[in-house]
Amino acid sequence: MENLLNLIPDDTDRTDGILKVTGGATYSAEYKIEGLTYGVLVQSTIAKGKITVLETKKAEGAPGVIKVLSHLNLNNSVPRYAKDDNVTIDRNIQKVFYNDQVYFAGQPIALVIADTYERAVYAASLIKANYQEEKHHTYLEKNLENSISPEGKDYLRNEKDAYKNSEVYLEAEYHQLNNIHNPMELGSITANWESDEKLTVYDKTQGVFGSQKHYAGLYGMDSKNVRVIAPFVGGAFGMALHTWPYQDAAVIGAKITKLPLKLMLTRMQMFTMVGYRPETKQFIGIGASKDGVLNGITHNAWGVTSTYDNFTEGTVGGTQFMYKCPNVNTQYKLVKLDVSNPIWMRGPGEATGMFALECAMDELAFKLNMDPIAFRLKNYATVHPVNNLPWSSKFLDECYELGAKKIGWYNRNPKPKSMTEDGMLVGYGMASGVFNAGRGAATARVILDENGKLTIQSAITDIGPGTGVMMKSVAMDSFKMDAIQIIVELGDTNLPPAPTQGGSNTTSSVGSAVYDACTALKEKMVEVYNQSFGEQKVYDDFKFNKEGFNIKGKSFSYVDLLKKAGLKELEVTRESRSGTERQKYVFNSFSVHFTKVHVHPLTGMVKVKEVVCALDAGKIISEKQARSQMIGGVVGGIGMALTEEGVYDHRYGVYTNNNFADYHVPVHADIPPIDVLFVNKPDPYINPIGAKGLGEVSIIGLAPSIANAIFHATGKRVRDLPITLDKIAIWRD
Amino acid sequence: MSNQKHPENLEQDFTCSSRRGFLKATTALTAIALSPTLITKAAINHRDEKLAAFFEKIPLNIEVNGKSYKMETEPRETLLDFVRERLQLTGTKKGCDHGQCGACTVHVDGKRVNSCLTLAVMQEGKKITTIEGIGSGEKLHPMQASFLKHDGFQCGYCTPGQIMSAIACINEGHANSPSEIREFMSGNICRCGAYPNIVDAIVEVKNGGQKG
Amino acid sequence: MINFDYIRMQSVKSTVKALAKFTDAKMIAGGSNLIDLMKRNVTAPTKLIDINLLPLKYIEQSKEGLRIGALALNSQAADHEIVKNKFPLLAMAINAGASPQLRNMASFGGNMMQRTRCTYFYDTSMPCNKREPNSGCGALNGINRMHAIFGANDNCIAVNPSDMNVALIALDAQVVLLNAKKERKMAFADFHKLAEDTPNLDNHLQSNEMIVEILIPENNFSKNSYYVKVRDRNSYAFALVSVAAGLELEGKTIKNARLAMGGVAHKPWRLYDAENYLQGKEINTETFKEAAKIAMKGAKGYGHNDFKLDLAPASILEALMKAAHLS
Repeated sequence: MENLLNLIPDDTDRTDGILKVTGGATYSAEYKIEGLTYGVLVQSTIAKGKITVLETKKAEGAPGVIKVLSHLNLNNSVPRYAKDDNVTIDRNIQKVFYNDQVYFAGQPIALVIADTYERAVYAASLIKANYQEEKHHTYLEKNLENSISPEGKDYLRNEKDAYKNSEVYLEAEYHQLNNIHNPMELGSITANWESDEKLTVYDKTQGVFGSQKHYAGLYGMDSKNVRVIAPFVGGAFGMALHTWPYQDAAVIGAKITKLPLKLMLTRMQMFTMVGYRPETKQFIGIGASKDGVLNGITHNAWGVTSTYDNFTEGTVGGTQFMYKCPNVNTQYKLVKLDVSNPIWMRGPGEATGMFALECAMDELAFKLNMDPIAFRLKNYATVHPVNNLPWSSKFLDECYELGAKKIGWYNRNPKPKSMTEDGMLVGYGMASGVFNAGRGAATARVILDENGKLTIQSAITDIGPGTGVMMKSVAMDSFKMDAIQIIVELGDTNLPPAPTQGGSNTTSSVGSAVYDACTALKEKMVEVYNQSFGEQKVYDDFKFNKEGFNIKGKSFSYVDLLKKAGLKELEVTRESRSGTERQKYVFNSFSVHFTKVHVHPLTGMVKVKEVVCALDAGKIISEKQARSQMIGGVVGGIGMALTEEGVYDHRYGVYTNNNFADYHVPVHADIPPIDVLFVNKPDPYINPIGAKGLGEVSIIGLAPSIANAIFHATGKRVRDLPITLDKIAIWRD
Repeated sequence: MSNQKHPENLEQDFTCSSRRGFLKATTALTAIALSPTLITKAAINHRDEKLAAFFEKIPLNIEVNGKSYKMETEPRETLLDFVRERLQLTGTKKGCDHGQCGACTVHVDGKRVNSCLTLAVMQEGKKITTIEGIGSGEKLHPMQASFLKHDGFQCGYCTPGQIMSAIACINEGHANSPSEIREFMSGNICRCGAYPNIVDAIVEVKNGGQKG
Repeated sequence: MINFDYIRMQSVKSTVKALAKFTDAKMIAGGSNLIDLMKRNVTAPTKLIDINLLPLKYIEQSKEGLRIGALALNSQAADHEIVKNKFPLLAMAINAGASPQLRNMASFGGNMMQRTRCTYFYDTSMPCNKREPNSGCGALNGINRMHAIFGANDNCIAVNPSDMNVALIALDAQVVLLNAKKERKMAFADFHKLAEDTPNLDNHLQSNEMIVEILIPENNFSKNSYYVKVRDRNSYAFALVSVAAGLELEGKTIKNARLAMGGVAHKPWRLYDAENYLQGKEINTETFKEAAKIAMKGAKGYGHNDFKLDLAPASILEALMKAAHLS
C-alpha cells in the first residue's frame, strides 16, 4: 500500500482521495502511540435522578484496568470544572462526571481505562449503579405547557394571524421525531499528554480551534500548548461543532493516568452523547386570495432541548422571508426535557421549518387548484421582506425552471392518485430550500517552493465536502497550475486559523482566504521579480501559466524566479473576511428539489425513483465534489423524509432504537439516480470567488418534496416525519 | 463445498477432566485450541496478571494481505479489533461494531464478511484481505481508481468497506445492473450519501471486465 | 465480553459429546447473531464451541429432497443452482434477509437459532421475560411496532426475525437434530415454539443437541413462488411483515398452496387455513383476498403494531398475486 500513497490525484479528484481509497487516511482513533490505553464509558440507565451507589471495585480489580474515573474520584482535578457550580461550560458542554446527578438516560457516569480494548469493555460491564430516581419528562407533546421563549419576543410583520381573513386558507400541524447525525465514524479521540503542560489531541471535530480552546480551558493552559489534529473527519453533519463530555473524559483520563488514551464511542452511545436534530412540533396557518396571492402566514414551532441548555435553531426563520407576504408572524418555543442536548444537524432548523412551510405551500396550492410552482412564482420575493434589502443574487426562479424541465414536471397529471407505472402509484413533488450564505474570517498560507510546488495551508477541517479539493481548485484557477503542483494541508491547530466547518461557510470563507493569499503571492512574485531584475513591472504585465508566468512575451518559470532571487521559498499568509457588503445585501443560497416516488398500492412501501435538484449557490468551485455534496444532502433528506426517527420509550425515557439496525438511515437500495443542476452564476458581492455554499440547502426542502410526492401518488397527506408506511396506511381509503 | 454427510464415522473417544474447563477435554476431542478460564480466574485472584494474560490467549496462525502472522489472541478479540489494534491495519473501519453498517468489511478466503462479528481466533489458517491488501505494486486496484474517479466517497470512513464489498459484489456475480448492485451493496451504509457515485464506480469496473 | 473458553471441534460426534458434558457451552458457527448478543451482554456464555470445521456445509439433492447441512451458508444456498431453480422461494427469502456480508457468515443452523430483535430483549436495562424470566415484558405496553400479532401472550410479544425460516416452514422442511445418544427428525414447523410460559426458549432444541441437517422435500411450487418482505427501508431491515407464497397450479386452478408469514409471531407462522381455502380455487384477486382474510383470524394488535392487521393481509394478497403472475 505504501507505494500507492505517492500517486497524484487528477485535477478534479480529492486531494486526500488516494489516502481514502487505500485505507491510508488516519482518523482520530487510528494513530499509533506507544503505550496507548483504551477508555470505555459507562452510561446511566435512568433518565433523571441521583446516583446513590456506583460499584467500581470489581472493575478496578479486573485484569488490565488502570483506572476507573467517575464523580466519586474526579474531585477538583479539573480547574475549569471547579471554577463554578454550573453543570455546563460555555452554556452547552456538560461537565463530565461532575456530580451525582443524572440528566438523561445514556449520560456518561464512569470511564474505565485499561491496557487493551477487550479488557476495558469487560471491566466496564462490571460497573453497577444504583439510583434514586426522580420523575422524568421526555415526551414533547405532553410538556408543551412548560415551554419557554428563548428569543424573548416573537416575530410579527403587520397583522397577526391574518391568514384567517384570506379567501382560502389552511391550518395544519407538522411533527418530526429526533434525527441523529450518525456519521459513519464513531465519536473518537486520542489524547496524549506529552508532559503535564503539553497536550496533543487527535480529535473528531469540525473546528480544531474550538477544541483547542476548550481543552486548554479545562486546565487553564495557554492554547499554544494544546495541539488539535484532525486532517480526516469521518463525517459529522453538525455533531462535532463543539466538544462533548466524552472528549473531556478522554483528556482528563489521560491527564490523570499520564498515559495516552484512546476512546471511541459505541454506535449506541452516538445517540445520547453527541447531539441530534431535536423533535419539533409545528403549526402553520397560511392563507391566500383565490388567485393565489399570499395574504398571511403564521408559523409556530416547539423544539426539544435539554434541561441544562436552551438549544435553539432557525426553525421558523425561513418563513419570515421565503415569500412575498404582507402579514407574517412566527413563534419559536423550547420544551426542556430530561434528554441530552441537541446540536445543529445539516440544514439545522431550516430543514425542519421548511418541511412545514413547503408542505403547507403545496397543500394550499392544491386547495387553490394552482400549480405549486406557479403559486410560488406568484409570491416570489425580489426584496427581502424582513429587512427590505436586495439579495446579493437570487436565481431561485431559474432553479424552478431548470428542475421542472429536467424531471418532466409539466408532463405529469397533477391529480392525486392518477398516475401508475409498473403496478405502482406514481407521485411527483417539489419544494424549495433556502439557507444563509455566510462568510467568516479565515486565514490561508501559500508557500511556493524552489521546485515549483505550491503548498496551501489552513487549519480548516474537511468533514467530507472536499475542502481540500476546493482549496486546490481555487489555487489552480489563480495560478493556472496543474493539481500535481499543489499540496494542501489542513485540519491542524499549527496551521493558519480558520473557522469551524459548518453552516455552508467553508468555501466562502476559506476559499476566499486561499484566493486572497494566492493573489498576494502573485503580487509578491512581481515584487521579487522587480527586485531581482531591477525592473518596474506591474501586476497586470504578468500572465500566469502552468509553469510560471509570461511578461510581455518572455517566459519565466517559478523555479527560475526563486533561483534568480536566491530564495528557497516564497510565502504569504492572508486573512480574509466579509466587509460592508453585509449591510447592503442579504446573502442566501437557494435550492429546489423535485422527486418522483413509487408507492406500492397494497403495502404502501415507498421507493424514491428519481431526484432532481436545482441549485443557486453562486459560482461552483469544484463541480465534481459540489455535485457529490448535493447528492449527500438528498440522501440525508430521504432518510429524514422516510426512515429516520429516534424513538423513546417515555416510560423509561430511553431510546428503543439506538443502533443501525433499528434506526434506519438510507441504504444503497433506497437511493435512485440523482440529478444535480447548478445555475452556477457567481454572486457578485459575497466574496472574491463568487461562491455561496451548498452544504445545507442540499437537504433543506428535500423532505417536503417527498411528502408532496407521496400526496400526489396516494392522495394522502402525511405531516409527521418520517413517512413510514403505517402512516400512509394505503389500505385505508 | 464438502459433500460429506453426517454423522461421520468417528472413532475419537471422549473423556473430560473439567478441572480446567476445556483443557483436558481437548486432546480427546480433537479440538484444536483452548482457553482455560478457571486457571485464568485463579491467576486473577492471585493478582498475577502476566499468568492470566498467558492463559487467556490462544495461538493464531493467520495470513493477512499475503503476510503470515503467528500471534496470540484472546478468544473474545474480534477480527476487526485484531486487524486494527494488533496489526495496525486501520483501513478497516469500526462503524457500528454490530454488523449493521459494513464499514468493517474484509475478505476471508475471498468472501466478504463483517469483521466485527467474527472472532480472530475463528480465522485460524485463513486468508484475510483488507483494503491495504488490494492495490498491487504502484497501481491502485481498479475499484479504488474507479471510486476516486467517480468521487464515490466524501468523508472516506465507509470507503474501505464499500470498496471491499464492491469487489466481492462483482466477483459473486451480483453486479449485473444498477438495481442489482444497489441491492447487493445495501450492507454498506454511507452516511455522506455517496451511493449514486459508488454505483457508477462499480458499473464502470464491471463493464471494464475487471475482476477482483 | 468475558474471556470465555474457546474450543474448536473437528467432528460432529465430539461436538455432541462436548455438548453433553458442558451444559454452559454454546456453539458458534457464523457468529453473526451470537457475537452481537455477547457484545450487548444479552448472553454471556463461558464456553464457546466453534463448529465451523464440521463437515456440514453441503447442499445436495437426494431422493427425499434437498439436503442442506446445518453449516451451509445462507449465501451458498441463495446462489446455488438447485435452490434457485427448484426452491426459488428459499433463495428469495434468504436474499431478502440481512446483507450480503451477513449471508456469507450466517449458517442455516445459526439462522434457525437467530434470536428476536425486540429492543427490550437487547437492552439489558429493560425488563424482558425472554432474556430474564419473570422480569416482565417491556414491549407489551411499550414500543411494539415490530411485534407479534399472532400467538402472543402477556409474557412476550416478540417475533422471530428470520426470513429463511418463513420459506422453510412454507416448504414443509424437516430438521435433523443430534445428541450424543441419538438422532431425531422433526418437522420444521415444530422446531420453533410460541412464547407461552417459557418465552426464554425460542425452540425445542435441547441443550445437548445440535442441528445437523435441514431437509426440504421436492415440490411443485417453483414456477409460482414469491416472497414479499415489507420493511421500513428497501433493504437491510427486519420485516414488519413478510409472506412466503407457493402455488401449484393446473391451468388457473390451485392444486396446492403454501403460505407462511414472518414478523408476526414468536415463530415462523404457517397459514394452514388459508392454504386449505385456496386449494381447488381459481386464481383471482377475490380468492386471494378471501384467503388473506382467513389468514388473519385470531390476529391481535398491541398498539403500535395495529397497522399490521391491515398490512399483513395486504402483503398476503401481494405475495399471492405475484406468485400467480397476476401482478
